[in-house]
Amino acid sequence: MNLMAAGATKLKEKISIRGLNFYYGDNLALKDINMPLYDRQVTAFIGPSGCGKSTLLRVLNRMYDLYPNQRAEGEVLLDGDDILSPKQDVNLLRSRIGMVFQKPTPFPMTIYDNIAFGVRLYERIAKSELDDRVEQCLRKAALWGEVADKLHASGLSLSGGQQQRLCIARTVAIRPDIILFDEPCSALDPISTARIEELIDELKQDYTIAIVTHNMQQAARVSQMTAFMYLGELVEFDETTKIFTSPKEKRTQDYITGRFG
Amino acid sequence: MNEHTVKSYEEELALLDKKIAQMGGLAEQLLGQSLEALERRDPKVAEEVVLSDRMIDNLEREIEEQVISMVARRQPMADDLRHIMGALRITTDLERIGDLAKNIAKRALAIADESHPKPLMSGIRHMVELALHQLKEVLDAYAERDADKALSVWRNDAQIDAMYNSLFRELLTYMMEDPRNIGISTHLLFGAKNIERVGDHTTNIAETVHFLVRGFNIADDRPKDDQTSSTLISGS
Repeated sequence: MNLMAAGATKLKEKISIRGLNFYYGDNLALKDINMPLYDRQVTAFIGPSGCGKSTLLRVLNRMYDLYPNQRAEGEVLLDGDDILSPKQDVNLLRSRIGMVFQKPTPFPMTIYDNIAFGVRLYERIAKSELDDRVEQCLRKAALWGEVADKLHASGLSLSGGQQQRLCIARTVAIRPDIILFDEPCSALDPISTARIEELIDELKQDYTIAIVTHNMQQAARVSQMTAFMYLGELVEFDETTKIFTSPKEKRTQDYITGRFG
Repeated sequence: MNEHTVKSYEEELALLDKKIAQMGGLAEQLLGQSLEALERRDPKVAEEVVLSDRMIDNLEREIEEQVISMVARRQPMADDLRHIMGALRITTDLERIGDLAKNIAKRALAIADESHPKPLMSGIRHMVELALHQLKEVLDAYAERDADKALSVWRNDAQIDAMYNSLFRELLTYMMEDPRNIGISTHLLFGAKNIERVGDHTTNIAETVHFLVRGFNIADDRPKDDQTSSTLISGS
């Protein structure tokens, strides 16, 4: 709501996507996408399966680099610098843009090491400082109270919802600017889902967040801006309140009210 | 408009419209009957009005329950959300119109034995006719999802207000001519005020229909022409 008062146009663009096309081989999966991700706002991506929303998320941290025959055209500016440029250090980029996936993916190591692992990759810090960082991140991910007395138990021993929060703590640990969530709650029960949503609300104060979700109510609850995508196109991008009460495009309307296909 | 993938959702929305139409029909009927009660001074008509008002109240409760259930189960979005919330607002306005009509009928009973001043009665008749026409138009606008029609209803309310203003002056004059007129004039004045209020509720419905169809509120301010709250006729 405070967004409405501020006016979406006055927000700072953390990421600017300009004329983005994306190919899987010869298959054009994203068509001329133009949109911003605003600084310290939650942007939700909705649309039917195969519409390109996860692909777009994968472009933002150059995940597609790992696969042959996948390429992106256009510009994705992060604080003004094009992250699609060949000069971009991909490892550095991924430390600035963290990602949380649909299924919790803790490493097969202790809870402590799940978080310390990434930190050790990027920073050289003393043990005591590392201990502090681990606690701080677990607190941020609202998991500390549940795991404080078993930091050296395996991350895999936690419940699904706890594992997901562990992954969020791990993401936060390397102090990124942006966090991408790809269907973070689809494997979780409603209580864990509510915890993650509460967490997203809090994280938004420090991070710019993009979330892909099939759950329309979730998009409506957690985001300030919403993008509706269909067949690789960005159909409509607007304030979340606007999208869910009076969208401009008929295709958006049909999709969110359950009239599609 | 495409249909919802879930058919029962579509059916519930249609049922909502059917109930609103039913309620609207009853409200029209009630308003017509209240005028009849006033003109014919027929206690039987007045009793019928009270009975029909109970049906409106029941429909209001049914619609409210259905809306609450739909919000809980369907989590409506976009035009569905506006449709369902709009229905809830319209039902409240229709219920109030029913109450106002009932109140007019009750006053008809109270002044049944008095002689009714002809010119004033015809003034009231015209007001009711216009209010009825407006109500019918706005119900059509809802059924047809016609925002332009709703907008024209919204603008026409000024006419009812103007009629009320002139009736107000006439009744005051009538009272000053002979204190024995004060009783009946007061009842007629309240009756006229009730009709003016019916016009306001009709205007509310027009605003709701406009929002429901277009997704934004009628921008400009409604013309406010009821000046009676600041009118005095001096004795000089």
